[in-house]
Amino acid sequence: MAATATGIYHRSYPRELALRHTRAEYSRLALLVLAMVAAPYTLDFYWLSIVNTILIAVIGAVGLNILVGFTGQISLGQGGFLAVGAFTSALLYERAALPAPLSIACAVVITAGAGALFGLPALRLKGLYLAIATLASQEIIVFIARRWSFLRDGSAPLSVDRLQVGGFEISRELFEFQWYWLLLTCAVLSVLAARNLFRSGLGRSFMAVRDQDIAASAMGVNVIRAKVTAFAVSSGFVGFAGALSAHYTETVTWESFTLEVSILYLAMIIVGGLGSIAGSAYGAFFMMLVPVMLNELISGAGAGIPALTSRLPAIENAVFGLVIILFLLLEPRGLDRIWQRMKDYIRFWPFRY
Amino acid sequence: MNNTRWTVAAAAATTLALTACAPGGGDTSADSDGPIKIGVIADLTGATGDVGTPYNKGMLAYVKWRNADGGIDGRDIEAISKDYAYDVPTAERLYKEYLNEGVVAIQGWGTGDSEALMSKVSADELPFMSASYAEVLTDPAEAPYNFVVAPTYSDQLRVGLNWIAQDAGGPAEVAMFHNDSPFGLAPLKDGQDWISEEGLDLNMEAYPMPAESANYVGLLSQAKSQGAEYIAIQNVSSPAAQVARDIVAQGLDMKIVCLNWCADEQFIDSAGESAEGHILVQPFAPGSAELEGHQVIEEFLQGEGSSLEKEGLHYVQGWYTMHIMAEGIAQALESGDDLTGTAIKEALEGMGAIDTGGVVGTGEVEFSEDSHRGQTGTGVYVAEGGVMKPLELGVTP
Repeated sequence: MAATATGIYHRSYPRELALRHTRAEYSRLALLVLAMVAAPYTLDFYWLSIVNTILIAVIGAVGLNILVGFTGQISLGQGGFLAVGAFTSALLYERAALPAPLSIACAVVITAGAGALFGLPALRLKGLYLAIATLASQEIIVFIARRWSFLRDGSAPLSVDRLQVGGFEISRELFEFQWYWLLLTCAVLSVLAARNLFRSGLGRSFMAVRDQDIAASAMGVNVIRAKVTAFAVSSGFVGFAGALSAHYTETVTWESFTLEVSILYLAMIIVGGLGSIAGSAYGAFFMMLVPVMLNELISGAGAGIPALTSRLPAIENAVFGLVIILFLLLEPRGLDRIWQRMKDYIRFWPFRY
Repeated sequence: MNNTRWTVAAAAATTLALTACAPGGGDTSADSDGPIKIGVIADLTGATGDVGTPYNKGMLAYVKWRNADGGIDGRDIEAISKDYAYDVPTAERLYKEYLNEGVVAIQGWGTGDSEALMSKVSADELPFMSASYAEVLTDPAEAPYNFVVAPTYSDQLRVGLNWIAQDAGGPAEVAMFHNDSPFGLAPLKDGQDWISEEGLDLNMEAYPMPAESANYVGLLSQAKSQGAEYIAIQNVSSPAAQVARDIVAQGLDMKIVCLNWCADEQFIDSAGESAEGHILVQPFAPGSAELEGHQVIEEFLQGEGSSLEKEGLHYVQGWYTMHIMAEGIAQALESGDDLTGTAIKEALEGMGAIDTGGVVGTGEVEFSEDSHRGQTGTGVYVAEGGVMKPLELGVTP
């Protein structure tokens, strides 16, 4: 994890601790920054809206990866925790008239609390048993969101007023554009925070628990504390994503937080790479773009074939399943690992290693 | 390290500067002479696909017919129709896609997505009609750009409850089976309120119908222990037909009162014998009624090698929902405005009654500035001999 590739030498301690070491890494970062800055000027509002939903998904996927990929605690409760974040922030913003940043911050804290609570079974359960226990948390939370009329506006779903921070309000014409910068900032900060977490003792204790919990406790890691904190930290990120999605979509309904959402997020981190922050981002991009690209492909190339266009959602599901199976078979460590192998191939060329 | 900090600071500064200068707005086809774009959010393969498919076919058929007939004011209608499989996030994505394509109006489908998009369409000023007749969508104060072309689910349930009270002639127990979604939940509270307001001697209990259930024997046994003689169903045809079959299989004596989305030929066809004697509350007249408004569809379908009998009443429903939207657009163009969402909204509100050849409720659909409730009348039918036989037409609560 923290090991660097062969052939890279450090001349000072700060250099060794840097996130990036080689010139190539810096130039790739520069390209990425350039792409991120150019995106809102080159994409139209529809594509920008897709990028915006992806940015929210990146935060959620990073959160889930902290729990599943780094701590080894499988969770099917992602949709439920997104719902907790979304409803909390929406209610505080609308009914308690808190300023948006404060309501989002509260949503993060409350979702973290909910995550820690629902994570308690993890102290006794492992693997598939834990998966079912977290499935219960998903169902319980969505059930409450479905039945509790407090979480609706009369008979309509909870609507959230246009985001207002200080004196600044998102405008109608530049809705996607302004949201892009906001969400980009949030996503970048979340990714950096998560990256940093795994350079700290707490993050390393998560990984120790994942690799061998008995050995970890023998080494002095407090396994109970690590597991509960992992649930809390992970849910905090997820709550953040949920809160942002509430303000971005301006309506909160339980229908956006079903079990399918939980599975979609699991797919994201499997495809992206378990135990990799960058992988979470790649996975989020990939899985969110699959349905969109299929839609483009089929309505573009297959426009003349009604048999294809009328079955689009079914094809989507099939492709979805196929992608996950193929990744698990061919590269269980996901897109992140594929990317690394590509880089290594170029770096070592013409040698194999 | 210092170097990195400077780079980050400089990058942040540039980003800030860049956010200040924003790109231009999206394209709109509104004021050109090109085709008039309407976005259609359809359910072909989702939970309500059985009734969503004919509805969508009806809409697209209307567009084809109208374009062949010269379009609106010489301009063609271009309907962009995509399947969203009854999934709210997909509907939101399609909505943004249509918005970007520069549509002037949206034809939606379910209650969940109509309600989720409600605040967005009013912010983006796009008139929105859907196959959801939830009460909340009729109030311009809450949903200024939503138009409801038929009596609301609440009105339909009120009519259904009135009928039950009359049929029972005394106290009766009603089990309300509903789809476990905003669509199913929409009329519940209004129904309960109606019973107490009108002093009907009924007791209604609500039961959510589990999705993808093989049968509803469990639900029926709950209804049986409640002592229910009537079952009101707010769901689509296939599950409702299953309930009808289960009632026969269990040897129960219960009468179903189907609202709108299960009150159709599909219910009768798939339940077969078991459908006999059940009541259907349906604001759109079935093809068998052979009203004036059906003729134009029948003629069109003959040209296509099909018939109304084959396509069913949801086809008619889609056809006339699109008709009402098209009439609004025609009115907006006639009054010489630029074709914007606001112009269409004002046209729909101010144009008076829109004729539907007797097909919708009492025959005409009319909106006003204070109410987007297009109709309150509905037909009550009984399933008899495999067809929908009218009991009463144009009933209002």
